[in-house]
Amino acid sequence: MKKRYSLLLLLAGFFLLQSCQENRAYRALIVTGQSNHNWQASATILKTILDQTKLFSTDIAQTPKEKGDMSNFHPNFSKYSIVVMDYNGDSWPEATKTAFLEYVKNGGGVVIYHEADNSFPDWKEYNEIIGLGGWNHRSEKDGPYVYYSKNQLVIDTVKGSAGSHGPQHEYLVRARKADHPILKGLPVAWMHGKDELYSTLRGPAKNMEILATAYADTAKRGTGRDEPMLMTITYGKGRIFHTAMGHVGKDATHPATECVGFIVTLQRGAEWAACGNVTQTIPIDFPNVAGSVSRPEYKEVTLTEDLDKIAAYTIDKSTKYLTDLQARIRQVSGNPAALLDLEKQMVSILKETGATVEGKKLILKELAWMGSDYCIPAVQELLKNDELKDAATFTLERMKGPRKI
Amino acid sequence: MTNSNRRSFLKNSAVASVGALVLPQIIPSTAMGMGGKLAPSNRLVMGAIGTGSQGKSNMRDFLELNKEVQFVAVCDVDTNNLQKAKALADGAYVNNDCRTYGDYREFLEKEKLDAVCIALPDHWHGIIYTAAVEKKLHVYGEKPICRTIRDGQTIVKAVQKNKITWQTGSWQRSRPNFHRGAELAINGRLGKIHHIEVGLPNGNRGIGTPPVQDVPKELNWDMWLGPAPKVAYRGVSHWNWRWILEYSGGQLTDWAGHHIDIANWGAGLEHTGPVEIVGEGVYPREGIYNVPVEYDFNCKYANGIEMRVCNEARLEKGSGTTWYGDKGWIHVNRGETLFASDPKILEEVIGENEIHLIKSDNHWQNFVNCVRSGEKTIAPVEVAYRAISVALLGEIAMQTGQKIQWDPDKEEIIGNPMAARLLDRPYRAPWQLPTI
Ligand SMILES: [Zn+2]
Repeated sequence: MKKRYSLLLLLAGFFLLQSCQENRAYRALIVTGQSNHNWQASATILKTILDQTKLFSTDIAQTPKEKGDMSNFHPNFSKYSIVVMDYNGDSWPEATKTAFLEYVKNGGGVVIYHEADNSFPDWKEYNEIIGLGGWNHRSEKDGPYVYYSKNQLVIDTVKGSAGSHGPQHEYLVRARKADHPILKGLPVAWMHGKDELYSTLRGPAKNMEILATAYADTAKRGTGRDEPMLMTITYGKGRIFHTAMGHVGKDATHPATECVGFIVTLQRGAEWAACGNVTQTIPIDFPNVAGSVSRPEYKEVTLTEDLDKIAAYTIDKSTKYLTDLQARIRQVSGNPAALLDLEKQMVSILKETGATVEGKKLILKELAWMGSDYCIPAVQELLKNDELKDAATFTLERMKGPRKI
Repeated sequence: MTNSNRRSFLKNSAVASVGALVLPQIIPSTAMGMGGKLAPSNRLVMGAIGTGSQGKSNMRDFLELNKEVQFVAVCDVDTNNLQKAKALADGAYVNNDCRTYGDYREFLEKEKLDAVCIALPDHWHGIIYTAAVEKKLHVYGEKPICRTIRDGQTIVKAVQKNKITWQTGSWQRSRPNFHRGAELAINGRLGKIHHIEVGLPNGNRGIGTPPVQDVPKELNWDMWLGPAPKVAYRGVSHWNWRWILEYSGGQLTDWAGHHIDIANWGAGLEHTGPVEIVGEGVYPREGIYNVPVEYDFNCKYANGIEMRVCNEARLEKGSGTTWYGDKGWIHVNRGETLFASDPKILEEVIGENEIHLIKSDNHWQNFVNCVRSGEKTIAPVEVAYRAISVALLGEIAMQTGQKIQWDPDKEEIIGNPMAARLLDRPYRAPWQLPTI
């Protein structure tokens, strides 16, 4: 593989992985190729996440390696609705920089991902695009620290270096602009998967809105401030979505990008950057304060998987598949046909000899309020089962409606 | 114990021995031909059912009332809590007389009391409140008064039938800032009220799925569960029952009896309910805690007022109650907080012919006074029922994901039999909600 990359690099000056997906609303370009992070992994992850929306068809543009000849690196930004920066490396040729700025000024969308806010410390306009940045000798000369403290936005011009983080840990992300299209409908706070918590970022912060923050706990060598995690910036007519989260290192697993909170805010942020609006629905597995939620394969859990897991449920196992089912019921509860469809699949678990008693109890509890006449024979059948008699009685009783006083 | 108190105590005991009764040693005054009224010189003979942290806290508040009440018996399914409660009572009277029970049925059968103070997990409220009221005991009962609308209706009916004095533990009503805020609002100092915001605490973080474990020897687990489904013990009982839907609706239903109650008080909605409820809840995905960790729903009332109830992180003003009217807003919260859009609103004087809300500066004293006088308490059962109904209807809207139409007069969900099932929760046999 490496060899083929190098050959292409020689031919084109950079490598462009062309996406072949059709009929998608937007084209996205991930720019990568140099970073202090595992960009080989992260670029693929970002592509997977974006393509999964079925809104984006995503290409990857790869720069030459460090200190390589950049002169031919000149992607055609204008073909794309968003450019996703997964890059922290050498300067680009002046013409490329100009093309990028023209692209943004004319309304092009940008997603700044994690270490991309470390990049280009001396490129003034780029720093206006990212709003806040860190490391690479950034200091008070680059702009103030911007953070929240006691629920107040603080813009602090005090001297000091920019960019820091303690050891990776799970942390709570808290919405500050819950009504922004990117966050609308999400919980106002959720646990984020194990990640670096970028802190002490500073920058011009012009035309910037902080959408969400995370408290950098001093117990985790943090600043004791609520640090910006999700931001939007406008530059000319261009919209920029900046996520400081999503560290991808050399480890085999990447809990920060597998976090559903990261995935969904990136997908929604990307759509907003592309068109100023968000049409995506909130997935049933979005995390909240109760705990982080991971998608190890970047795939949303399916109904079949939920039902299979419920059918195999024992009291020592996770109940998250039941929570998913409850959310699915809620989604279709106003639609009798769709609800009956779901009910039929639930009833099939009641009839399954291989399904566990505890799994059947979970199903019975839901049928108690949303079941129709369809489920009654199957529930009545369970009255004969000593272990399920009580739960089946509960269901049949509740289905009759409230008791008379 | 002061001399005069000891004298009155001894006098009371003496009456009992003259009557040659083994039980009770203290005769309840209401049973002594006083026409149900309590002479000011006599102490209220009380018992407590549920002696966990809130139960003991209420006992302490009653005991602080210059010895106006005497606890003669306590009841709990946890012998540790029971012994602590007995020690609390005995310590106050310097004796060893407080009797203990593990079963409320035996407690209600054997004890002859004036009043009982009840602080239990919500899933027990329907049965035990009703049973105590049917024994014609005056009740100081913790909020929320019910786990379901049906439980609540039953309790209200029982109180009205038995004409006892009821005080709900909605003690914010007895704090000056809440009283003042509500009185300004209801007297039109904000003009016509058009909407209300109620911010309640954010939900609890999960504890995952703790392993099944041995029931502690002091705890009668089957009795603790009572009418709730039989489940294995995982270390969740006292206090943290609050995070499991079988026993509670979480912060929402816990706090409804405070900030929603206050909202109703100031807006004249104490004796009615919303006509339309719609909203969303955020539920933990993993673990045994299953109450919403975030919640946000909107209620429309027949008179056009709208009330938004949500977790505090969703509101600029955070927790508390805010009434918004044509002429501004008033915000009240714990910590004696009282703010208004214009500070002048807070200086307004309420005229003689305007509405004067019942005033109390001690919630427990107000109960004792009303038992003596027969007057309505500051937090009667009907208004407690209306406050918790708002939360329970919100809970139904969130669970079903549907807009709920509610008839506040007939107290029925309109046109949605599926959602209507959630107005009630079947009990585990042999437990039954009594018919009144
Ligand atoms: Zn990193």
